[in-house]
Amino acid sequence: MANVAKDSDGLRIGVFVCECGLNIAGTIDCNAVSEYARTLDDVAAVIQNKYTCADPGQNEIKKAITEHNLNRVVVASCTPKIHEPTFRECVADAGLNPYLFEMVNIREQCSWVHQSEKEKATEKAKDLVRSGVARARFLEPQTELEVPITKTALVIGGGVSGIQAALDLADGGHQVYLVEKEPTIGGIMAALDKTYPTMDCSI
Amino acid sequence: MAQKEYDFKCLNCGREYRALYDIKNVTERTCPQCRSNSVRRMPEKKGAAKT
Amino acid sequence: MTNSEVESVSGFVGNFNVTIRKKARYVDPDECTACAECANICPVAVPDEYQQGFSSRKAIYMPFPQAVPSAYILDMENCLGNNPIACGKCADVCEKKCINYDDQDELINIEAGVIIVATGMDVYDPTEYDEYGYTRFDNVITSMEFERLICAGGPTEGHFIRPSDRKIPKSIGFIQCVGSRSRNGRGNPYCSNICCMNTVKDTLLLCDHYPGVEARVFYMDMRAFGKGFEDLYMRSREEGVKYVRGIPGDVSENDENKNLVLTVENTTTGRREIHELEMLVLSQGVIPRQDGDQIKRLLTLSTTSDGFIMESHPKLKPVDAPTKGVYIAGCVESPKDVKDSVTQASAAAARASILLNAGKTRVEAITSHVETDKCNYCGICADVCPYNAILAPDRKAKRAPTIIQAACAGCGACAAECAQDAIIMRHFRDEQIMAQIEAILEVEPHKHLLTFACNWCSYAGGDNAGTARLQYPTTSRLIRTMCSGRVDEKFVLHAFRLGAPMVLVSGCHFADCHYINAVHWTQKRMDRLWNKLDKLKIRPDRLRLEWISAAEGQKFAKVMRELENSVRSVTMEEMEYTMKIMAEEENRILEKKLKAAAKKV
Ligand code: SF4
Ligand SMILES: [Zn+2]
Repeated sequence: MANVAKDSDGLRIGVFVCECGLNIAGTIDCNAVSEYARTLDDVAAVIQNKYTCADPGQNEIKKAITEHNLNRVVVASCTPKIHEPTFRECVADAGLNPYLFEMVNIREQCSWVHQSEKEKATEKAKDLVRSGVARARFLEPQTELEVPITKTALVIGGGVSGIQAALDLADGGHQVYLVEKEPTIGGIMAALDKTYPTMDCSI
Repeated sequence: MAQKEYDFKCLNCGREYRALYDIKNVTERTCPQCRSNSVRRMPEKKGAAKT
Repeated sequence: MTNSEVESVSGFVGNFNVTIRKKARYVDPDECTACAECANICPVAVPDEYQQGFSSRKAIYMPFPQAVPSAYILDMENCLGNNPIACGKCADVCEKKCINYDDQDELINIEAGVIIVATGMDVYDPTEYDEYGYTRFDNVITSMEFERLICAGGPTEGHFIRPSDRKIPKSIGFIQCVGSRSRNGRGNPYCSNICCMNTVKDTLLLCDHYPGVEARVFYMDMRAFGKGFEDLYMRSREEGVKYVRGIPGDVSENDENKNLVLTVENTTTGRREIHELEMLVLSQGVIPRQDGDQIKRLLTLSTTSDGFIMESHPKLKPVDAPTKGVYIAGCVESPKDVKDSVTQASAAAARASILLNAGKTRVEAITSHVETDKCNYCGICADVCPYNAILAPDRKAKRAPTIIQAACAGCGACAAECAQDAIIMRHFRDEQIMAQIEAILEVEPHKHLLTFACNWCSYAGGDNAGTARLQYPTTSRLIRTMCSGRVDEKFVLHAFRLGAPMVLVSGCHFADCHYINAVHWTQKRMDRLWNKLDKLKIRPDRLRLEWISAAEGQKFAKVMRELENSVRSVTMEEMEYTMKIMAEEENRILEKKLKAAAKKV
């Protein structure tokens, strides 16, 4: 599998470069990254936003999907740990399968860690966008498996937190198991006399 | 389990050492000198007498 | 369920299968009326943990009067013998006959949709601060011991007396930050959050119980940041409590009256002061639970460097654990007071209810499937899968394995280990990752460090470095996989073929692996790859391996800095030679595969 065959038929990739205020744009030359993205094969639209995750930014994505008939979306912004779900939902709203979305991290792993190397960071961002677009070409729609949720909660630990969580869940009408290691619930708090700030009894 | 002595070499700082290890049930390795995890288990020399 | 511990957890969000060990209690809690006859007759006395050892309890006992369940428990370790000949007194006097010496641990299986971890904390043991003399002087106590002494339900019925002569002390000192905010290797570097206000509370209790008592607090900073806290602090000062800025360097005991003599540099005045006090309370810090490893392992939770459980995101998902369907509440996450614990617990309960109410959830479509025509029935995948999600028929049956979609967690170790490339990992397919490698190495490949990082730990560790703004060289180009176990040999070889000077594979520490033990396969594969490189006369140290947890942003940045130099040390000739050799090697592998396929047909 030396060379991966590119199936470019009908690919229309949209690249969204995020400035994240100055979080990204303060280090990375976002205009240059956008310009660069335009030169990549199969890229049908490149749009730069101040805050892509905010409503206006998301609307731009949705609009572009319809206007440019996009079938892949790449967002170059922050870590997928925060906003991958956001953007997946956003593209799904616009009628695209959420798995046709790819995220490129140019904030946590680029602009924030190379603050004094603006040019090199911009080059790195371009490389990462190129890699994201390359991956996007091979993305496929997926259907998520829906799993049922057993309507029972397990709370481990019968101190003040565990008790509170268990009571709240039970009050909400759920069945709860509370597991405590010691022979009694109460935890550390039960050993206290009074507690601040109200100076009242702890049991 | 089946622990045996093997030669290890840190690919970061070059430190070599022998240690007990179970190659079936592998565990995390850390170089005792530089804390890197790039610790290579050297191939056993076949036939060669081990000291 | 009290007196119980979680023994094992399997399954996934919405469908956890949990085994709980209900330890033998030897007293039937439903029958027990807490009449106390048994304890009255029990001949064994041991220190009472609840009263911090200030008083004793029997081998059959009630932890404290308000305990829930309100029932006795038999402490088998201290019982004279669960043999009526040896003792058996309690069983004789128990009218309801609820004592059973043959009681056994019981294993209970439950199904749970969500799990809330609220395993709490431990308190710091100040023994190692030997200069305070906790173990040497009677009248030095800890803040937990203070609670019992001042409590009306305590061993002294609320008379705050000093241990040496059982007299009520007229002057009491408090030393703050014992085991907290320490940078010298003793205790912990973090602030324990609660001890300042706890001491303020203690001084107010003292002033309330014993007007005129002299209380002095020795501190570095008093932190009274919460709602109503400053008021309490001011009240304490108004009551006459003296706050001395400075931590005593030494405590000694006055032989005659057993008073304690503190030497302290008052950093406000810059003068050395000597204080003689009748009693001293060490305001001990909060530490992570010392027996928390089991739960951490069962639920694949990781901890921050201070040992407390790490949340999914410090601001956006503070009560979610990275494992879906698991939430955290209370001091297991960080030291906190009662109010914050309750707040967090309610938040966790509310988060958990979202799933419970929905009754269903979607799991990411990252699962594997088999291309039956490529499979050669070796069955390796079934051995690899940490979840036993792959059922491989006997080799002779010549049938491809089946993968149980609901059980597959998506690590991709099977796809990486399958030599036939017969297993496809959805959303992390070979083609997708290969395309990324090729794209990255398309421009100036010789300058860059190709890095593979697993989603849960190393990638998150990289994010952690970013959030902390740790600066490191721009050399690295990173590719994310769900697990380092997904990093196929061919990815690494292909990167070298395309001119990569170095390749770094990074993943979770073994204890943190989010796919049980998929990381084992990473380690084994790396050994194979190092041997292979060696054989091809390519420096094995151009392929690196680092385990980086989600909290180890520091390590991530350090590795990046170190490898920058290593990347530079790779010469152009070396890279050209590698590219040539690897091209041959890849062709060889390809031919072998083609031949095998031809043979099959
Ligand atoms: S991807 Fe991992 S969990 Fe899924 S079948 Fe393969 S080895 Fe098992
Ligand atoms: Zn080393």
